[in-house]
Amino acid sequence: MRNQGFNWHDPILWAQGLGVSLGVFAASMILGTVIGIAIALVRVYRVPVAAPLLLTISEFLKNSPVLVQLFLVFFGVPVLLQVNITPAEAAIFTLTGNTAAFIAVIAISAMDAIDRGQLDAARSFGHSERSILRKIIAPQALVVAMPALIGLAVNQLQVTSLISAIGVIDLTKVGQILNQRTWQPFIVWTVIGVTYFILSRLLAAAGGRLETRLRRHMDWAGL
Amino acid sequence: MFWDGFLVTASVSALSIAGSFLIGVIVAFGAVSRRPFLRKAARGYIGLFRNIPFIVQVFFFYFGLPEIGVYIDAFTTGTMALSIAVGAYAADVLRSGIENVDTGVIEAAEVSGLSRFKIYRRIILPIALRVSLRPLGSVFINLVLTTSILSTITLNELTGNAKIVASDTFRPFEVYFFLLLFYCALTYLLSLLINLWHRHLNRFMRGAE
Repeated sequence: MRNQGFNWHDPILWAQGLGVSLGVFAASMILGTVIGIAIALVRVYRVPVAAPLLLTISEFLKNSPVLVQLFLVFFGVPVLLQVNITPAEAAIFTLTGNTAAFIAVIAISAMDAIDRGQLDAARSFGHSERSILRKIIAPQALVVAMPALIGLAVNQLQVTSLISAIGVIDLTKVGQILNQRTWQPFIVWTVIGVTYFILSRLLAAAGGRLETRLRRHMDWAGL
Repeated sequence: MFWDGFLVTASVSALSIAGSFLIGVIVAFGAVSRRPFLRKAARGYIGLFRNIPFIVQVFFFYFGLPEIGVYIDAFTTGTMALSIAVGAYAADVLRSGIENVDTGVIEAAEVSGLSRFKIYRRIILPIALRVSLRPLGSVFINLVLTTSILSTITLNELTGNAKIVASDTFRPFEVYFFLLLFYCALTYLLSLLINLWHRHLNRFMRGAE
């Protein structure tokens, strides 16, 4: 028996899907940023073996479809290693790796943009490498990287929709469920599409505000 | 089976690259138009299709069009959806390319009596393309990767066929790992082609100077 038409439970389903999408997005974005920065540091400090290895892996992640990566992790890895993995775990694991690969590229080019003379100056003033990284490189690189980071975040939000294909009940999966039950594709997909659109716009606006604040902090204030 | 999937992926990619380029050019010229209405419409298009996940767009077309009596197959729906969505990305890249074209060049063309269309096609577009070609290349590489999503609307391209092979052979890891390498090779080949085009365009432009 198919229950045509919408009912009061549907908004709850929508909210749950929204929560799952946002949760996976936040988790993979935070973990991906940490790992991505680590990869960038390994590259910038030219750590032997690890640097080329990590860069090769991130090239593969950037040049293959995320959907295939999700299938590889969710269907392939459990068979290969004889372990159980839930769809949500597979989703966060894959998207984290994917985000890290892109964050690494952004972080490397942001650090490259910093004037070498500043580092020499800081060294001659007796700053430790750690303090140079924290007080001189990091704040400036963050400002340079901000526009690219906002673009990446908006993009990764769209990418989370793919986890519906391995069975995570995210916003897109909720759309598929409602679509199959009500047979009203236009309303269902318009609501889901508008939800993503608003989320993306909010994300971009928040990123933009953060960027202006960082810039204000960085600007040359005069003598 | 793998070969069949490859042919579908290749033809969807080729058709959508052409389609999205065409849409991209038109929308990009709209986005830099002097008419506020055209400009707003074009920028709205870019914003809309870039901020909604492609899979949602595909479902909208695939399930929505039959509701209004339009029945088209997964291949056509997929190609159309890809062209429309990637067209928005291409338009944004081309728009910044066009904005970088020296206005003096355009004024000179106007003075020499070229028609509006000829100025767009022969003067502005080639100059803008030279700047936009690399980012446009990564947009098209992304397009090839995005074709994999069409497996969700039962189109048996590379990923769709791989799903079938993986469940038939019970060797999902090998199948998907090979598929991943294959996509990498494919995008590498495409980036080589774009480099060639870039070099050709550069040589062509230098000859004109």
